[in-house]
Amino acid sequence: MVAGGVIIRVRRGGAADDPEERHQTYAIAPRPRMTVLDALTAIQSELDPSLGFRYSCRVGMCGTCALRVNGRPRWACRTLIEGLGESVTLEPLVNFPVLRDLAVDMTPFLDKMSRARAWAEPTEAAASAPVELSPDSRQRVRIDPHIECITCGICYSACGMAAHDPDFLGPAALNRAYTLVCDSRDAAGGERLAEVADEHGIWRCHSQFNCTEACPKGISPATAIQALKRRAAASGAKSFVASIIGGLAPGG
Amino acid sequence: MSGPAFQVRKCDVLILGSGGAGLLAALAAYEADPALDILIAVKGLFGKSGCTRMVQGGYNVALSAGDSVENHFMDTVRAGAWLNDQDLAWELVSRAPGCIRRLETVCGAFFDRSSDGKIHQKAFAGQSFDRTVHKGDLTGIELTNRVSEQIVRRGIPVLEERRAITLLPVPGADGRIAGAMLLDIRSGDFTAVNAKCTLLATGGGPTFYKYSACAQELATDGMAMAWEAGVDFCDMEMVQFHPTGILTGEGLQITGTLLEEGLRGVGGHLLNGRGERYMERYDPERMERSTRDLVARAGYTEIREGRGTGNGGVFIDVSHLGADFVRKNFKGMVDRCADLGFDLAGAPVEVTPTAHYMMGGAKIDTGCRTSLPGLFAAGEDAGGTHGANRLGGNGVANSTVFGEVAGREMAAGAGGAPLEGFDSGTAEASVAEALGALDVDTPGVDAPGEEDSPYSVRASLKELMWEKIGLRRNGADLAAGLGEIASLGERAARVRAGGGRAYNIAWQNVLDVRNQITVAELIARSAIERDESRGSHYRDDIPESKEDALYNVFISKRSGEAVIERRPVRFTRVKPGGEIASAAEPVNFVD
Repeated sequence: MVAGGVIIRVRRGGAADDPEERHQTYAIAPRPRMTVLDALTAIQSELDPSLGFRYSCRVGMCGTCALRVNGRPRWACRTLIEGLGESVTLEPLVNFPVLRDLAVDMTPFLDKMSRARAWAEPTEAAASAPVELSPDSRQRVRIDPHIECITCGICYSACGMAAHDPDFLGPAALNRAYTLVCDSRDAAGGERLAEVADEHGIWRCHSQFNCTEACPKGISPATAIQALKRRAAASGAKSFVASIIGGLAPGG
Repeated sequence: MSGPAFQVRKCDVLILGSGGAGLLAALAAYEADPALDILIAVKGLFGKSGCTRMVQGGYNVALSAGDSVENHFMDTVRAGAWLNDQDLAWELVSRAPGCIRRLETVCGAFFDRSSDGKIHQKAFAGQSFDRTVHKGDLTGIELTNRVSEQIVRRGIPVLEERRAITLLPVPGADGRIAGAMLLDIRSGDFTAVNAKCTLLATGGGPTFYKYSACAQELATDGMAMAWEAGVDFCDMEMVQFHPTGILTGEGLQITGTLLEEGLRGVGGHLLNGRGERYMERYDPERMERSTRDLVARAGYTEIREGRGTGNGGVFIDVSHLGADFVRKNFKGMVDRCADLGFDLAGAPVEVTPTAHYMMGGAKIDTGCRTSLPGLFAAGEDAGGTHGANRLGGNGVANSTVFGEVAGREMAAGAGGAPLEGFDSGTAEASVAEALGALDVDTPGVDAPGEEDSPYSVRASLKELMWEKIGLRRNGADLAAGLGEIASLGERAARVRAGGGRAYNIAWQNVLDVRNQITVAELIARSAIERDESRGSHYRDDIPESKEDALYNVFISKRSGEAVIERRPVRFTRVKPGGEIASAAEPVNFVD
């Protein structure tokens, strides 16, 4: 633990009603096992009530406290101050509009989940009763490592392609699409595969694995995207061919 | 202020909250009548606010051969020390199989399976059968994710970061509710939503205790609004404390969040600061697998009597179960401990009892109707189902089952009914009162000449509730506590937040602490009325239970005054000590 105190540099502004971006510094007295979230609540309640940030569950289940800590997207609630150095820089996630300081608008990210049809569309059999399915079945072995995503947006903030192409569906949406495509209980497999195989979908991913490296849940969206690419290629769907042509078109 | 103080928006069904109750209510209302204009308003982010998201262990439901809804019912009322509204408890257990089925068949959830492919059910404390359905040790994530997706798929509109601040009655005195005033946390603007049916699904959340397991934006908003509107409440003295909240240090955010019940279920040990398995002194037969109320109180006693750890907690130790076993079965718990520098699989971890759940709430009937027409309640905002103590695994069952019930009832009630207008005086007063908590001329929390803050008031409230209206109570402390709550209420009424209206967290905290104080007072008053020990309500000065005349404590507001009433428990299905036989055939997936 740092003996003399920790400097917290917070990126402020960048919002529609507070556009001027600036960094503000606060000195806090660290305590053992203090997290970034503890630092923020201490600043907000003791030093600067105007600071904007967001949290709910405070234990890594809601994901709403996601931000960048020294440049790296993380959950504030599960990141200990200890080990971050004597100066800690906190900034909002990138690729999201800022609402106030560290609190961002998740709407564009969630809209992409919708574009990827990130919801179950049960088959007739799955809609009639819970399906008997072994946990060791091939599909569950594929799905389970990807299913516990909490859509905190950390992968999307880490994604270079999301910054480059604002229409890129992004790692979380494609990860969810993968779990559905693998699921024999879901009826929309082929159509969903076509949706995510467009020019702003799976083929945009350059397999940098930044999403995988950043995910606090240990999920690998990049692996899911690779698997979707294989399926799309194997399917030989018309939409896939069209997407390749579209994706390679000049300026496309 | 220029322009109107608030906008008006009309809808058929207004749902306040997007936890288990709110999500399932919206889905059920839509399925019943897709033409309805349904509106969801949530204080935080959609599907990510509140406690359903935080459910770990799972969902109690009788599914297996050998189990029955009757068994589930008997376990529920025994745990509830016979104070349950038995009709509500029956609704819970008999509708849970249908609800868990729809979570899979309609929403695409996939709960853990046994090797034979059937839904796996694990052991939870206080139950006669292994009936807890789960998804690993983070069940709430699967549940809220999958239902939220279906709400999005159906295009049901959601307002995020909009908190309800006041329930709006129709003009006149019949008490009918016709919507709620919403405050947009982002902009600071107000919208009066005029609705045919309004559902309180904001969650309870005893966040006004020093250690609390709940999502921290919860401030008993729904109950406080309902109280102000004149709703009748029951069982408010019954607050559940969970035995094992993680303890990293007093006042640190993650402190009080849960290490799940299943750790004790599989054989975890609880140790005091001396390394003794102290449950031997409290329940030598069941040890750590005793009911939540007893285990939590035992831990509290160890700490209070000086046998705690250095940080004022006790230890949970699962290392003897084998590191691989623990890592495989409790991955979520192991991961969160690791982030904090603890090795759950290999060494004891410090924990504390932590305020977890309110069994009490708005009195509802089996259609989730409150005492006010047009106003429904489901989930933790409603009381009565659990009696004096809730079984682990019955919480998420309760919110989802009654969410569905409320959704269907509201759809039936709203379809074809006329929309009645709301009382404009109440709406205007609501806006004025909220704005009164804001001092736009100062940048800081405190208004000029004042040195108080909502954080200071809340810290005092948390300490007071923990010490005097917590796990071990007595008449003198309760009476003193009630007086201190009144003083805190006066402080809260004076405190102001500085700054502007938009995304002003300090302002929201002022509104929060006022609601918390309102509900804390209901707990104190109800606890004073119960002159015995029962379930979660334990009095050192009256440790015995009085079995001859069981009653529920009701509290209502009449002419501005709190009126307390004892009403005899109605044993509509089984009398204390009795049994109801299971049906000959196991009833699976009934509605």
